[in-house]
Amino acid sequence: MPSGALLFQSVILGLLLGGLYALLAAGLTLYFGIMRVVMIAHSAFLILAAYLAWWSHARLGVDPLLSMVVTIPLFFGLGVLLQRLLLARLRPVTLTMMSVLLTFAIAVLIEGLLGYAFTGTQRRIQLGYGSASIGLFGARIAVVKLIAFGLAAVALLTLYLLLKRTRFGWALRATIQHPDAARLIGIDTDRIAGFGFGVGLATAAVGGTALALDTTIYPSLHWHWIGPLMAIIVVGGLGSVPGAAVAAMLLGLVQSLLQIPLGTTWAQTVFYLALFATLAFRPQGFFGGRLAQRF
Amino acid sequence: MPSASDPTRAHRLGGPLRAVAILALAAAVLSFPSWAPNPYILSAGVVVLNYAVLSTSWNFVGGFTGYISLGHGALAGLGGYATGLLVVRAGLPSFVALAAATLLVAAVAVPIGYAALRVRGASFVIVSIALVLILLLVAQSWASLTGGSRGLVVPRPFPGLLRPEHHRIFFYLFAALLALALLVWWLVDRSRFGLGLKAIREDEDKAESLGTPTFAYKLVVFVVSAGFTGLAGGLYALWFGDLDPVFQFSILTGSYLVLMALLGGVRQLFGPLVGALVVGVGLEYFKVEFGNTPLHLAATGLLLALVVLFMPDGVLPAVGALADRFLRPAQSSIREVTAAELREQRDTAPPGADRAADPPTELPVGAVDGRSGKEGP
Repeated sequence: MPSGALLFQSVILGLLLGGLYALLAAGLTLYFGIMRVVMIAHSAFLILAAYLAWWSHARLGVDPLLSMVVTIPLFFGLGVLLQRLLLARLRPVTLTMMSVLLTFAIAVLIEGLLGYAFTGTQRRIQLGYGSASIGLFGARIAVVKLIAFGLAAVALLTLYLLLKRTRFGWALRATIQHPDAARLIGIDTDRIAGFGFGVGLATAAVGGTALALDTTIYPSLHWHWIGPLMAIIVVGGLGSVPGAAVAAMLLGLVQSLLQIPLGTTWAQTVFYLALFATLAFRPQGFFGGRLAQRF
Repeated sequence: MPSASDPTRAHRLGGPLRAVAILALAAAVLSFPSWAPNPYILSAGVVVLNYAVLSTSWNFVGGFTGYISLGHGALAGLGGYATGLLVVRAGLPSFVALAAATLLVAAVAVPIGYAALRVRGASFVIVSIALVLILLLVAQSWASLTGGSRGLVVPRPFPGLLRPEHHRIFFYLFAALLALALLVWWLVDRSRFGLGLKAIREDEDKAESLGTPTFAYKLVVFVVSAGFTGLAGGLYALWFGDLDPVFQFSILTGSYLVLMALLGGVRQLFGPLVGALVVGVGLEYFKVEFGNTPLHLAATGLLLALVVLFMPDGVLPAVGALADRFLRPAQSSIREVTAAELREQRDTAPPGADRAADPPTELPVGAVDGRSGKEGP
């Protein structure tokens, strides 16, 4: 039986990890809501942002957090372009399948280019405060993990306020709920959908920076993220942001706790088991609404 | 929506031309071992044939139902590992192990398909990717059974044979498997079962409301596809003799298969084969010229994106359309058949012929559509 302090530490780490999962899953949920697109490239962009943060620290000497000044607008723009120039060109009939392939292709392309530009060597940011940690009831929590969680929390809150309190958010939610009706009341749904993709991809920029703070990164790392993230959005119910957030926290916590008896590798299987169990017994997910029924 | 399976397209290329092309292809494949300049080229031929079998197997699901699986590479890897483990750990004869592994993969596909196919496309793709990741994880971590990252050495089925002879035998085995897969695909294509599957592809809601047992159909075809994939994977394991989890359970293999099928044309019998020839030869060539570089990945991604964006129906339909444009320039009418052709048809048709073929111009009074005309006594 592991000691209480170890359990407590695992719970804290699980919640911190769950926060990052929640932010990234929110981005995936947004894409799915807007266009019924399962965006495989989301985690590849995540790793791209992590590499940009590492690069700006290693080559330019600036704090990785500052790289967000560039990456967030850049990723927003890329998201808009991705939706307007590529995904909008696909035939509506086969959109779900073809968009998966297209975003998969983009993920592979990014992985290949990252490998070409930075080689496959594992990279890690060496920060002055990288090894600092604070004690909390016998648990030791690394400061960088707290910063990463803080970033994710702020980004999620911003996303929430953006969707609930701004005219753009209303228009975006209207577009998600009923595109035809949204068009009828004068919303330029094409433009809004593009911006929605931009916002989704901007979450990957924040997440990637947070990830780079305390993780060793390499080009093929994104496969280790896309699996858990997709499991999270299915368990939460495709298209439901609160569902994704709850599932993310829960699964992050379970993963962290299972690492004690099973080790890090086997603990990952919890995501896939949850995915299969959900699809076999409750295919619409646990929090999904009408939308999830058919996907 | 243009549909390659509509009857007009099949006639356009012409039957004899098609038969000649098929015979030429078969002759080229069967004679390949005798004119391959060296054993390396022959082994590359085996690899390409393996891709062709896998891609044709993939096309059972991808082509008929339109459900795209990125996880077929993992099913092949599972077939390979199952075969290898049954030979190494259980001591079964090679080809008995191959048969058992095929059944095993098909059996594993049942619960996977059950979970993945109850809902529509998106979940299926997610499960297919998850399958690759979870199998890779298990194969790498369960080192006591699978040998982990060190790999698994599978003994050869014909120990006394020299390397070129070994390649030659497996070349023919893969060719036979390819012929079998193509034959089954062709049979399904022409069956009522295939019709139901294609209805799922075109409009699953309508197919369901018309009484097609969509879930059962999807599950059956997925299991058939998985069985063929596992068989090809097992055969590959017996041929290659050395399994590495990173290559056996690679998401990239799955994406090669999709790229091949899509490039060739998923609605064509020979589409995946043509795609495998193009992509497989390209892959082997790049491997020789440049080795394994990350640009390999980038090029695959770029090519896949281009095919999805500009040629989602594949090369064969595109070439067919091009040939039509040059061979039959007179057909500029927006209709499928001209009025003159219609008149000719009506004149030459024997009395009492199926009138559904005629356009509904001479309907009996009160008939709602053309079909009611043939319900006479």
